Amino acid sequence: MKGQEWYQADDIAEEYDDKRFSQGGQLIDRREKEAVLEAIMPVEDRKVLEIACGTGRFTVMLAHQGADVVGLDISAAMLQQGRRKAKNADLAGTLEFLRGDAGRLPFPDDHFDTVVAMRFFHLADDPKAFLEEMRRVSRDQIVFDTFNRFSTRSVYNWALPMGSRLYSTSEVAVLLAKTDLTLVDVEDDFLLPYGLYRSIPNGLASPLRALDKAVGELPITDHFASVSYWNARVR
Amino acid sequence: MKESLLEILCCPLDKHDLELENADYDDEEVVGGNLVCTECGEAYPIEDGIPNLLPPDMREETPA
Repeated sequence: MKGQEWYQADDIAEEYDDKRFSQGGQLIDRREKEAVLEAIMPVEDRKVLEIACGTGRFTVMLAHQGADVVGLDISAAMLQQGRRKAKNADLAGTLEFLRGDAGRLPFPDDHFDTVVAMRFFHLADDPKAFLEEMRRVSRDQIVFDTFNRFSTRSVYNWALPMGSRLYSTSEVAVLLAKTDLTLVDVEDDFLLPYGLYRSIPNGLASPLRALDKAVGELPITDHFASVSYWNARVR
Repeated sequence: MKESLLEILCCPLDKHDLELENADYDDEEVVGGNLVCTECGEAYPIEDGIPNLLPPDMREETPA
């Protein structure tokens, strides 16, 4: 897995939320949460597993909405941040964190209703194996995102500490088919890469995002979106 | 972790049930101890309230 050591350092974990979700990062955070909620609401009493949950921004949100959530990550430092956050949160559902390998999940077959993996597949060295393992433990739904090959993401990619795997739409379609998953919905967004939004001040982030959305709504630009949010059902 | 998590956890290697041993509690939370596979005997530590279910081959190369 790429960037394993960088990702697991204590100081990276402590500053992770501040750094990634400040300024323009907030716009990304909001859009990603909207994508997840849109795909899986209502979640009340549903069993949800999040792969690569990091500091728990989706797990806390879903438990708040009434889901019974398990967050799995490889980094103990990130999980401790999540655990701290969950302690101070008012949750309608339940939330547990654990450390584990996304390729060998410590759960029986078909245990969860939904498995979520955001910002995961761009780090996956063997996407098919990971998707198969997610499918094994899900009886209904799988939700994930990908960074796209034919987009501004390609240009920005070289600067990242973790590197990144980019996908074409057809590549994901083949992955879904091979894993016996049916595509329910896919949404493309962000003509401009996340990194740009994180690096500019708030005053600029919102107008830029408005422009990004407006241009993104033109039919021809779908192909150039930097991110896709996928919602698939178990066949 | 809550002890109820044990009902859904299994060994990442052979998917058999786990048993909680030498548990340390803080109120209702299990903060320490081991989860031991009833089949292969592999022990998975609970570290500061978070169970570490990484398979043994990943545990050493992965920093805490």
